[in-house]
Amino acid sequence: MKGETFLHILLLTLIMVSDLFSRFVVGSSSPPLLGIAPQDEKYYQASSDGIKCRDGSGKFSKAQLNDDFCDCLDGTDEPGICSILFVAVLAFELWLLHEDDGSLKGTSACPNGRFYCRNAGHIPLVLYSSRVNDGICDCCDGSDEYDGQVKCSNTCWEAGKAARDKLTKRISTFQEGVAMRKHEIERAKLAIAKDEKELSKLKNEERVLKGLVQRLKERKELIEIAEEKERSQKEKEEQDRKEAEQKATEEKSKSAKDIDPETKEHEVDEGGETKEDFDNDIVGLLDDPVGTAEGDGDAYSLPEIQEAAAVSSDVVHDADENAASDQANEQGDVPVKPEELSKEELGRLVASRWTGEKVDEEIKQDSSEETHKEDDKREDVLDEDLYEDDDDGYVSDSVDDNKKYEYRDPEDEIREDLFADDNGDSTSHHTNYSDSDSDDEPDWEDIIVEMIWSWLEKTMIMARRFLRAFNLFQRPFDKSEAASVRKEYDESSSKLSKIQSRISALSEKLKHDFGPEKVFYSFHGRCLESKQNKYVYKVCPYKEASQKEDYSTTRLGQWEKFDESYRVMVFSGGDRCWNGPDRSLKVKLRCSLTDELTDVDEPSRCEYMALLSTPAACTDDRLKELQDKLDAMNKNEPQSHDEL
Amino acid sequence: MNPRLRFSLVLFLSLALSPAPSLSWKEEEFRNCNQTPFCERARSRTPGSSRLIASKVSLSDGSLVASLVDRDDSSGNPLSLTLTSYQDGVLRLVVDEDPSFDPPRRRFRVPDVVLPEFESSKKLWLQRIAEERIGDDVELSVVVYLNEDYEAVLRRDPFEVFVRERSSKDRVLGLNSHGMFDFEQLRGKKEEGQEWEERFRGNTDSRPHGPQSISFDVSFYGADFVYGIPERAMSLALRPTRGPGIEFSEPYRLFNLDVFEYLHESPFGLYGSIPFMLSHGKGRGSVGFFWLNAAEMQIDVLGEGWDAYNDGKIVLPSSLKRIDTFWMSEAGIVDAFFFVGPGPKDVVRQYTSVTGLPAMPQFFATAYHQCRWNYRDEQDVAEVDAKFDEHDIPYDVLWLDIEHTDGKKYFTWDKVLFPTPAEMQRKLAAEGRHMVTIVDPHIKRDDRYYIHKEATRNGYYVKDASGKDYNGWCWPGSSSYLDMVNPEIRSWWGDKFSLQSYSGSTPSLYIWNDMNEPSVFNGPEVSMPRDAIHCGSVEHREVHNAYGYYFHMATSDGLLKRGDGQDRPFVLSRAMFAGSQRYGAVWTGDNTADWDHLRVSVPMLLTLGLTGMSFSGADVGGYFGNPDPKLLVRWYQLGAYYPFFRGHAHQDTKRREPWLFGERNTELMREAIRVRYSLLPYFYTLFREANTTGVPVLRPLWMEFPSDEVAFDKDDSFMVGNSLLVHGVFNEHAKHVSVYLPGKQSWFDLRTGTPYPGGTTQKLEVSESSIPAFQKAGTIVQRKDRFRRSTAQMVNDPYTLVIALNSSKEAEGELYVDDGKTFDFLSGGFIHRRFVYKEGTLSSYNVAPTASGNARFNTKCEIERIILLGPAGQPKNALVRPGNLKTEVEYGPLQLFGTGSSNVLTIRKPGVRISEDWTIQLS
Repeated sequence: MKGETFLHILLLTLIMVSDLFSRFVVGSSSPPLLGIAPQDEKYYQASSDGIKCRDGSGKFSKAQLNDDFCDCLDGTDEPGICSILFVAVLAFELWLLHEDDGSLKGTSACPNGRFYCRNAGHIPLVLYSSRVNDGICDCCDGSDEYDGQVKCSNTCWEAGKAARDKLTKRISTFQEGVAMRKHEIERAKLAIAKDEKELSKLKNEERVLKGLVQRLKERKELIEIAEEKERSQKEKEEQDRKEAEQKATEEKSKSAKDIDPETKEHEVDEGGETKEDFDNDIVGLLDDPVGTAEGDGDAYSLPEIQEAAAVSSDVVHDADENAASDQANEQGDVPVKPEELSKEELGRLVASRWTGEKVDEEIKQDSSEETHKEDDKREDVLDEDLYEDDDDGYVSDSVDDNKKYEYRDPEDEIREDLFADDNGDSTSHHTNYSDSDSDDEPDWEDIIVEMIWSWLEKTMIMARRFLRAFNLFQRPFDKSEAASVRKEYDESSSKLSKIQSRISALSEKLKHDFGPEKVFYSFHGRCLESKQNKYVYKVCPYKEASQKEDYSTTRLGQWEKFDESYRVMVFSGGDRCWNGPDRSLKVKLRCSLTDELTDVDEPSRCEYMALLSTPAACTDDRLKELQDKLDAMNKNEPQSHDEL
Repeated sequence: MNPRLRFSLVLFLSLALSPAPSLSWKEEEFRNCNQTPFCERARSRTPGSSRLIASKVSLSDGSLVASLVDRDDSSGNPLSLTLTSYQDGVLRLVVDEDPSFDPPRRRFRVPDVVLPEFESSKKLWLQRIAEERIGDDVELSVVVYLNEDYEAVLRRDPFEVFVRERSSKDRVLGLNSHGMFDFEQLRGKKEEGQEWEERFRGNTDSRPHGPQSISFDVSFYGADFVYGIPERAMSLALRPTRGPGIEFSEPYRLFNLDVFEYLHESPFGLYGSIPFMLSHGKGRGSVGFFWLNAAEMQIDVLGEGWDAYNDGKIVLPSSLKRIDTFWMSEAGIVDAFFFVGPGPKDVVRQYTSVTGLPAMPQFFATAYHQCRWNYRDEQDVAEVDAKFDEHDIPYDVLWLDIEHTDGKKYFTWDKVLFPTPAEMQRKLAAEGRHMVTIVDPHIKRDDRYYIHKEATRNGYYVKDASGKDYNGWCWPGSSSYLDMVNPEIRSWWGDKFSLQSYSGSTPSLYIWNDMNEPSVFNGPEVSMPRDAIHCGSVEHREVHNAYGYYFHMATSDGLLKRGDGQDRPFVLSRAMFAGSQRYGAVWTGDNTADWDHLRVSVPMLLTLGLTGMSFSGADVGGYFGNPDPKLLVRWYQLGAYYPFFRGHAHQDTKRREPWLFGERNTELMREAIRVRYSLLPYFYTLFREANTTGVPVLRPLWMEFPSDEVAFDKDDSFMVGNSLLVHGVFNEHAKHVSVYLPGKQSWFDLRTGTPYPGGTTQKLEVSESSIPAFQKAGTIVQRKDRFRRSTAQMVNDPYTLVIALNSSKEAEGELYVDDGKTFDFLSGGFIHRRFVYKEGTLSSYNVAPTASGNARFNTKCEIERIILLGPAGQPKNALVRPGNLKTEVEYGPLQLFGTGSSNVLTIRKPGVRISEDWTIQLS
């Protein structure tokens, strides 16, 4: 708003100046009007016709200039100390040529007028005319109160010094911050390049692996057909044998039973299901024989497996909770017979209409809470019963949604899945990542790529071997070979699905808006926390924001976008408020040398605000603005104060 | 259970149990007439069923007294009747049980509502009674003097009391003209098989004294419409509730309740009750009837032909058009006042002579108030305050709702959110701004809370039927309620507002009383049980409607004490009763952010004004829900003319301070608020008029145009004083509005100065920048056209006079000014001028009575601009006397802000002071 006002006035100035020169011939010799900037004087020179209001709303005589009576709706006739011009730096400098004799004072007569305080020693100020002679000292030089009702002391020097000191400090922060930001941009460039490189390699690899998997699959199917044939042969033989036996037995006893057809069907079913799992679901990794595929199978420790399993059941569970809590919400409107409630329950219930507090759980202790328990499943998951009892998890409509709310970045998980033994946990990823320009540490991105290739090579060699071996298509085939093909197929297809996940994660990541020069790249996959009173606020850019209290978590929103020229991060669509909107959060960015989340507030119900201090917000433009401001302030220092 | 199965089950259940619409939920929470035994009984009475006759008529202590006895059954106790005349055409009728027959207990008479000075010095001591035969009555009727034009008649058999014009003998107002009077006398014990208890929704009312209701009919003769009996969200003119074609309507209920999300069109009673009804008719003018009774009341307005089944026993003068009404109350006595009018302003004056004049507010309180549930903390307060300045929007008061307290303990502060409340108030005060905090009557039952400790120790709480401190549920949880009916407790309460006692308070802090119906979340109908006990064994049922009134009174008296009687209190109350106007402002409670609620705010406030509550407003923007920006802007444009102008919002709503909806909307709301600030001198003059005459700031058109029939039921427009007519815009897509401009004189558009003829309906184009508003020809309105942060900075600003000339080129207006704060105005410390424009000359006269006290008020304020609208001719110069100074007459803007302003004749800087006599002659 202030900025807009400034621009508006500046614009007016320019229009006015050009207007002036086009209308009046320079060179008048009449004495200057005090308090009016030279290029503006002409405007105020009365002709026989009077002076026109700039907005054309009327005209006024010279005597009516600043006579405490509003003749022009736009305040042309009550211009303060040439309020309009003096905002412009140019005009300001011209003003310095004039003496302030106090005789030209803007008035409060025009509501749309502006008053300019010179504030020597501090920054000049443009006031609404409503502040003139209103008994309150608005200008540090006191110039807005000249009617003698109040006496304002000149505090510009002190205030100006404090302001200059503050500004100087701020500028030095900015200077350092701008450097950090540049650094960050460089790192982001490199990191993105690496991501892109990895992505393209992974895509190549995916292509290769796809072919391989396809061939292995065909091979496997051939083997299976062969096996099937062999088995049915055997079965037939077996049956024949059994029949023979049975006949023999029947002769002895009458209690034998035929169970074979069922068994057969069962086996077929199982086989089909397994195949599906492998094709579609990372959960299929469960079946990956541990320790057979060059160690990468080690990545899947038991808890993770169970967690992965829990995720899918979780979805159903959450939807369930969702419906339950919906119902609880609606119960507020369902007629409740007061006779059935205690006095206190009734009181709470009625109060809740205004407050929206959930009274059901307070009363009945059995209704689900609106807030969500922390999604820390690692322990709970192991105990399924416990998990069932908890009002855990996030409300979500689909599996996809659910993934979004997982605490860990899917990308990280895949990285871990693939390379857990080499790269440790996710935190160290971030550390490594953010320090990737350091020469001491290995560049893990390169390692990944190398590893993939070495593994791929091995796989290819193996596969080739198998494929060659089966070319002969002998019958009966080598059983150990068949097992190897199967295993190889399983491994390869699971690798493929992992690579595909990684590709999609990387592509998703690279699709994000990382701001000008990708300066916000490093915020991806990171979270910042801030503790305020009993709440811990957690903001994960490009992902989500939440508020935690003890064991419950409220989602404040999912990542939506940047706003206001990358000065604000917007998270929206968080948990719904009773009788209100979905929660949302706006994070304002502020230049600072460290990344820090502070000042979380809820100015309007369920609409949160927070401040994120970060070097990424230290832009050159802002720095220049501040420097200009300081320059202006310094120029404006009155000489008389120098010795103070 | 299998999660999938569970999911489907829950889904199924939630569908099966899907909630009924919330409306029905509310409806069943409150009693209707059929669920209210006294109402049901009374409503079944038929005309002529009363068997009472008046006997033993005599004069006693200057009043007429009589006994009411059963015509056929002499075994019952007679009732005592007292009829008293008061100055200015007020007749009072009291009917109670006769104490000489030893009734089981004394019935409740509402104390502290009728002004002591009314009772002591306005009474006319009757010297003689005249007798006269009415029609073919067997018994003679008794005629009593009322004033020069009116007399009262007590008809013995059938018993009837009416007021008539002395000259024509035409009745104007009658009680029991239809013979439906009934008075259930208290009995010592229950009769065989009789059940006294009442049950409603799990609450049992022990009703230890049995049925004790009173009902009677009141007829308004010569009436086209009846009005009054707030508070409800309904049309200004009261529609019939019984009669042919009206099958299922409820009577108008007067029972103070905290109604959650009230409907915009319902006869149901809301937070306040004022049992005062006025009528108006073209031929007759206005009369009024007030029943001073604080128990639950139900009132039927009877539609034409309602008594058609009557067998002809009741013979009423058929030449007169009339409106019959039927009044029912659960308890108490008949203490009824008849006001003869004959003009609408006369009735209001007569009513306020009984119940008191509206308090004179401080100047700041007449400006714009900014409220929200809740401004979160001191930083929030500072930011909101700063934003008003940043956007150059004036405001005067910032409000804090319940969350500012420490655990809903009033007089305390949340230490985390409001660590330095006094400093916060001082910062606001430095800008001339004030703060208001909420103080409700429910007291948290917390042994560490000093108020609770003292109240418990002193026995200051209302008791339940068993005699223990009544324990109800409200914001703080378990709460008790102070018994404000007791003057001692009120006095104790008042002391809690002293700066010493109320820690963190400063002299710029004022108070808001909410929830004082009282609202009890777990009580019957969200209020207190009727068998709860107040001091003097008074049952809550007898005093219910006045509970909030006493609380408001106690708070107001507390602020008065705080300022040593020098500082005018400001207390906003939600509950109200007859007389609440003496203690401060009221608002229409928890309205909703929709167009219907914007619309209904006009009749609601007009009705409040008619019944004494001049200083009233509705929450601008609507309390519940989120107003569309268009609605919010329209609400500010209308709210700027509410006597009490406050923006407020529920805590679940989005922020809606005027700068949050884009530049254009900010501008529109700023302009709306500026309209109010500009007109504050006019408003303040009107507040003073209300303070001296009872005539409200906001007036129905018929109050100013009593013989313009078209205006009688208009409630989409209203008058502000006698000069301005305002018409709301109540539709989002409205392109045009039809505005009826009453009377014979022209009207000038407030913004453009365009004249429109009176007595016409104008279809006007609606602009987004204002709602239609007009100045009546023949009036002078004062403005201050400098816009400041708050009223405090306007004190020395010059005035603008807008003169709207009528067809005879004349106009007049008044200006009242005082220090805006103290009670000096009571002893002469004010300026009261009359401006008269006649024959081309504007003159300023002093109309303040001389020798009204020692205090003096003066101001150097000048008039900076005089605007002439209408047939002023083409004057070039103005001669100012004294001084014989010439000043220019030119064309200038009518308004200094907004768009659409036109050039109007302007006397520029006449340089005259408003405190002095002068003339300005145009030539």
